[in-house]
Amino acid sequence: MSKYIAKRILMSVLTLFVITFVLFVLIRIMPGDPFPVERMSAEMILQKREELGLNKPILIQFADYMTLLASGSFGNGTSLYNGAPIKPILTACLINSFKIGVLSILFGTVVGLAIGIVAALNRGKFLDGFCTLVSILGVCIPSYVFMIFLQYFFSYKIPFFPYFFDPSNFMASSIMPALSLSLFAVSTIARFTRNEMLEVINSDYVKLAESKGLYGFELIRRHVLRNALIPIVTVLAPLVVSLLTGAMVIEKIYGINGVGKLMVDAIAGQGVDYNYVLALSIVFSALYIGAMLVLDILYGIIDPRIRLTTKEG
Amino acid sequence: MKKIFMAALLLVTMIFAGCGGSDSAGGDKKLSVMLGSNVVSLDSAQATDVASFEVIADCIDGLMQLDADGKAIPALAESYDVSADGKTYTFHLREAKWANGDPVTAEDFVFAWRRHCKSSAEYSYIMGDTVACVKNADAVIKGGDPKTLGVSAPDPKTFVVELDAPVSFFPALMAFPTFYPINEKFYNSLAEGSYGTSPETFLSNGAFMLASYVPGAANIQLKKNDSYWDAAKVSINDWQYQVVTSSDNALTSFKNGTLNVVNIGGNQVAHVNQDAELAKNLKTFSSGLLNYLSFNQDPKNHHAGALANANLRLAISNAIDRESLVDNYVMNGAKATYTAVPIDFAPNAKTGKFFAEDQKQFSDVVSFNVSKAQEFLSKAKSELGKDSFELNLIFSNDGDANTKIVQAIKSQVEENLPGVMIKLQPMPKAEYLSNITSNSYDIALVDWVPDYNDPMTFLTLWTTTGSEIAEHWSNADYDKIISDCSTGHLAEDYDARWSALYDAEKILLDNAVIAPLFTSASAVLISPNVEGIEYHVAGISRVFKNVKLK
Repeated sequence: MSKYIAKRILMSVLTLFVITFVLFVLIRIMPGDPFPVERMSAEMILQKREELGLNKPILIQFADYMTLLASGSFGNGTSLYNGAPIKPILTACLINSFKIGVLSILFGTVVGLAIGIVAALNRGKFLDGFCTLVSILGVCIPSYVFMIFLQYFFSYKIPFFPYFFDPSNFMASSIMPALSLSLFAVSTIARFTRNEMLEVINSDYVKLAESKGLYGFELIRRHVLRNALIPIVTVLAPLVVSLLTGAMVIEKIYGINGVGKLMVDAIAGQGVDYNYVLALSIVFSALYIGAMLVLDILYGIIDPRIRLTTKEG
Repeated sequence: MKKIFMAALLLVTMIFAGCGGSDSAGGDKKLSVMLGSNVVSLDSAQATDVASFEVIADCIDGLMQLDADGKAIPALAESYDVSADGKTYTFHLREAKWANGDPVTAEDFVFAWRRHCKSSAEYSYIMGDTVACVKNADAVIKGGDPKTLGVSAPDPKTFVVELDAPVSFFPALMAFPTFYPINEKFYNSLAEGSYGTSPETFLSNGAFMLASYVPGAANIQLKKNDSYWDAAKVSINDWQYQVVTSSDNALTSFKNGTLNVVNIGGNQVAHVNQDAELAKNLKTFSSGLLNYLSFNQDPKNHHAGALANANLRLAISNAIDRESLVDNYVMNGAKATYTAVPIDFAPNAKTGKFFAEDQKQFSDVVSFNVSKAQEFLSKAKSELGKDSFELNLIFSNDGDANTKIVQAIKSQVEENLPGVMIKLQPMPKAEYLSNITSNSYDIALVDWVPDYNDPMTFLTLWTTTGSEIAEHWSNADYDKIISDCSTGHLAEDYDARWSALYDAEKILLDNAVIAPLFTSASAVLISPNVEGIEYHVAGISRVFKNVKLK
């Protein structure tokens, strides 16, 4: 088992390294300078490039960047926020996105599970159709459209929630973005729960349990839901990461100081801030790879066949 | 399971319990102002954008400030003397304090100015010989010893600046943030790069101080600085900025009372005008920002062989209906412009007349005249031996307004000039700038924000060694006039300089180096209870120090 885990960790580190390299090269060959140039003379631009080490061969620049990463730093910005160190700013934004992400995961899971269970228990009836419709809508409507809808009705028409994100009133201002973000999770989880539950309900052991006289909530809780949950966890992991890493459009329109907005600001500024774009991409990749790693390891623990296949392969 | 359910229920209850306290939505009495873009930096040496300059100016005073009419009046300098040759300014500082209690001294200016030159950031150019002409600034920007910069502090309350040439608008320049002081002791006590990244790492000496700010914050809270030297005149205590990038969002937030000062776009202006009650709050201010077409005349560029021909450029410039452009596409109060210096900008210090007041003075070369444009085109066709021209027009697609403008230009030019085809190429700002600096464009839509209220902020753009947004056009006579007016003999003679600048503008427009389009405006909705916001065409666009809430 430990060999399997070690192998998986090694693979993850390698993947992250390759991603970092590809990102680094792509960003360097993109047109544009990582600082504002409108008022600079050609001479000043050259001087600035030299100062930032941008005239060195790309591999040397990459080696320098890796050394920087190894020291636990993402370096400093090149056009944003006075060229201040990136790490504390990124951490603060990550925390904001995480808080809203956690809220939306919680909402998405609870509501998604509820819709899925109701649909499965009422298979073929009106409620099933209704729940399916809700989950299809959830997949079709982009979260920011739903956000604008909420903002219009619950901030503009009925001023119940703040119209813009207000850090001093975090909870009230988090509801609308968290709800919008959770829309996709609600429908994904609802669909999976419904399908898995139906499969389990029709299985022999549930029928046996029913024949033994177990009915209603107890049956669902002890036999159906528990078994149906395992595949749901599979879809939940990448969903969690995507919710935690923020939503660019929602953060931008609602004014949340999160990583999604930070990414947009780093790209859309007068100069594309190379170091912010890189740092954010690396963090996002690391989170995805980390989530996949945890899943792989969990699978290995839950299902011994996976381990065996790896060994044989 | 039961525990998870209970925890979720508890959380949801807590969330809704928090909602009742929401005080931002609805009729808040606090001043809430829209900021059209993020604050990129609160370090006056690194700031390059309108939003950052505005917030810095809310919190820090310079030697001078602008009054409601845009005239330079004393701020931290109680008075100043100018030497007979106009090359030495001696500023006498008033008793003023930083928010931490330290006195503001001449050393704070010496430290900040040296640091700004050394930073080789975008705006360090303003210290050099094209603008402020501070002695040795160009050498320091290029890596020279900062101690050689022409600034000194003979005593804590006297700040002396030596210039390479007299600069008639030097006092007004002192209101621009690049020339603001920084408390050296405070700056040195901070970790590298952390200056201006939080209320704790930013020190005010101005009307307001930061109450809450983090880099990238969409919401910035300010509060009155009680130790400000002019605090008696400041009547608002707590107020806030909210970054709003969409005009639709801006209008809605104004209508529901979340914000009480917002900027709106052309489409929203039309909407506001349909509502008489709302339209009462609408005001339009000229922004001094010139929109023009830049023609790349470098023969090395693939199509530029054609655009190096002045007749082709004149043909395009005369085929554009600028009035229709501002009335039907921009729609926010912008003014059609036929000069290289925008309208309502750069008043003459003696007559008070704006530099570009006479919009007809170059009408023989810049106008909307289809038959004349076609004459220019046929000349160009015979000179170049070509019948058709395909030219690309690049523009930054950061706002949707640009797209509408270039589409209108394309259809006007193609309709009025048979044989000329315009290919539109939208791109993000960084790529757009890179295309310009690397010479890969034919025509570019440029909007240039003036940094100071003098024609030179525009006219220096087109010298051979001017901005990187250059048309690869070079004219010795033009260069000579600009050089004579900045550091040469004309710098000392106000009237001669003023009239020479017209000569330079004539050379520029006779050659159709650019096609001026329009002077931008800001369409603003201001709540009736807010009074006293001062709008300026150059430098700091809005000043909130004298705002009163009714």
